[in-house]
Amino acid sequence: MEIRLSCILLAVALLSGCSWFHRGNKAPTEVVAEEPQGEPSIVEPQVTRRVVKTPHIKAKDFEIGAYYGALSIQDFGTNPLYGVRAAYHVSEDIFLEGFLARSKAGTTSLEDVFPDITVVSNSGRRFTYYDLDVGYNVLPGEIFLGRGRAFNSALYVTVGMGDVKFADKDQFAINFGAGERLLITDWLALHLDVRDHIFETSLTGRTKNVDNIEATLGLTVFY
Amino acid sequence: MRRLLALVLLVQALHLGFANAAAKSLVLVVTDPYLEMRSGPGRGFPVVYVVGRDEVLTVLYSRTDWFKVRAPHGNEGWVRRADLARTLLESGEPAPIPPYPEFASHRWELGAGYGVYNRENLVTTYGDFSLTTSLDVELAVQQAFGTLDNRYIASIGVRHTFIPEWKWFSPTAGIGTAYQYIQDKVPPAPLQKSNEMAYVSLGVRGFITRRFLWRVDWRHYVVFNDLNVYEDLEEWKFGLAVFF
Repeated sequence: MEIRLSCILLAVALLSGCSWFHRGNKAPTEVVAEEPQGEPSIVEPQVTRRVVKTPHIKAKDFEIGAYYGALSIQDFGTNPLYGVRAAYHVSEDIFLEGFLARSKAGTTSLEDVFPDITVVSNSGRRFTYYDLDVGYNVLPGEIFLGRGRAFNSALYVTVGMGDVKFADKDQFAINFGAGERLLITDWLALHLDVRDHIFETSLTGRTKNVDNIEATLGLTVFY
Repeated sequence: MRRLLALVLLVQALHLGFANAAAKSLVLVVTDPYLEMRSGPGRGFPVVYVVGRDEVLTVLYSRTDWFKVRAPHGNEGWVRRADLARTLLESGEPAPIPPYPEFASHRWELGAGYGVYNRENLVTTYGDFSLTTSLDVELAVQQAFGTLDNRYIASIGVRHTFIPEWKWFSPTAGIGTAYQYIQDKVPPAPLQKSNEMAYVSLGVRGFITRRFLWRVDWRHYVVFNDLNVYEDLEEWKFGLAVFF
């Protein structure tokens, strides 16, 4: 009984399978039959798709510029300093900044009193540094000039580290400072900075940490 | 005369450039009841102009989270990213204000930091390119300041982030190869001025805000030298980075 039932079910399944295959094969013949008459079976849209290109918004988060000022090298007097700086503004509060600058040290008091003594060779008096800093805009606001003009500004603090090359030696130096950024226009800024570079040295006899304070005026461009 | 001609041509070229740039500016329609424009790109700056619903704005450029826009009558000001994201294009589609890169799946990373290399101070800078969300290629350039010598180290390696979707604290591990150049400070000079090295690293990374993240890494270097014993070096570093 069971075998008979199975045979019937199999026969039905085979027949339905054949009819399904038959249906599947039938479709192309119908299309072929219709083609000569020139009647397309599907309506093709004649409208071309419009590609909308939205303009790109330029981000002006980078700042690049140069600065000039005075560097007081501990025991070696105050001398002119010039350098370049580049910053990336991460948010309205935080920015990352890099500095590269050069100055030349003067003479120590000892060298002034006893001209025959040389503490540092002439080539070693070159003071070069690079710094990598993180900065925070503490007091953003506006500075008013007269009645009709207001400039955006920010007082910021920075902290960082880098390399100071002095007396022909590279030393690890930390630095911290504060500055004022005054935006003359949205893309041009004036900077007034004071920064202290601290490193360990034993040039003048005993090992000590020296403070080298700089005061600079800079001009930067946002792009 | 030639200089004058060159100057005139340059000015014209610049003018054309600006004109083209202006022509391509993004124009958006305000959908909020009003939109505030501030005098500067920051939350503390005063509101200097307000644009009403259905008015159009021209977006000029952005700085961090703020967009410089021009109102129909020529007034310019800064609009917050979140406010501008609620505007529409003139076609009615949402404004194409770029979102922040996803922390878990960001592509590029640039960072710098402080470290201790072979018990000496280290300044490190690095760039990172993500191949997948959990695997990235790291390129680092470092300078170590010792009492006897200064060392410059360049390294390239791969780093795996175990659970990148953990935003605040996600462990990492990596391997790579490095090259160090030794610059002696005091005699005697080192036997070898440069070495090739290999390293393994373990670390942790975490999100700070917007595009900002921190990393702490430990590396163990094996220095390949001409001596009979391998030199082992250890490095710890902490860095801050920006991702894109």
